[in-house]
Amino acid sequence: MTEILKTENQISIPSSLNYLKDVDDFVEKKLKKCGLSESDLADVAISVTEAVTNAVIHGNKCDLQKRVTITLKIKESDITIWVKDQGNGFDPDSVPSPVENENVLKKVGRGIFILKSLMDEVDFAYEPHEGTVVKFVKHCLPSKKC
Amino acid sequence: MKLSFQEVKDIMVLSPKGKIMGGPDATQMHDQLHEFISQGKKKVVIDLSKVDWMNSTGLGILISGLTTMRNSGGELKLANVTEKIQSLLTITKLITVFECHDSLEEAVESFK
Repeated sequence: MTEILKTENQISIPSSLNYLKDVDDFVEKKLKKCGLSESDLADVAISVTEAVTNAVIHGNKCDLQKRVTITLKIKESDITIWVKDQGNGFDPDSVPSPVENENVLKKVGRGIFILKSLMDEVDFAYEPHEGTVVKFVKHCLPSKKC
Repeated sequence: MKLSFQEVKDIMVLSPKGKIMGGPDATQMHDQLHEFISQGKKKVVIDLSKVDWMNSTGLGILISGLTTMRNSGGELKLANVTEKIQSLLTITKLITVFECHDSLEEAVESFK
């Protein structure tokens, strides 16, 4: 299976967290060209890793035959990212709140919470036989035209 | 993430560098802490000054480290928590769990 596929604004990886750094490098390179603030850049980069980690583990169940595709759209006033898996879907609302006292010390279960905290818009859409697409938006002002 | 360590006044100081996002990062920290425990070194400070950011996996790694050290009768403290990480610790309420210090010296001294 072809490992990493890239186009101008898209990267596709097999379902393994070993490719997380490749995704982060791709996203950072794109965002740095736009002169995004360090803080906004970190927020977007963290959110991408959260969404990709979920897609690999909970969406595609680490099945290396399935892929995770990350697409970026950078406009003057916002950055939109789509993370698509090829899994059977999951209910993001079924994840218990990580800030409830009984969950604070758990090692996992904060990804979606952090994604929602850092981004201005987050939307989950599931299509049978297609997979889940997580779309998230950060309103910010890139200082250069991308 | 790159991980280095040094011993300061019987305290083991772990210094991760870069981004802590998962994949191989988790086992690296876990293995190093278990190595400390096997040597009887149970007081650990993680110096976060050179960490750009971490995600939820990174937070999980810190929690796992804290639990590992406390279960072996030791302690793990944080030093030089950056603004971005501080913000994540706050929104996840983990700020109530970790003992954080503004400098490495302060964290080391706090074990006395």
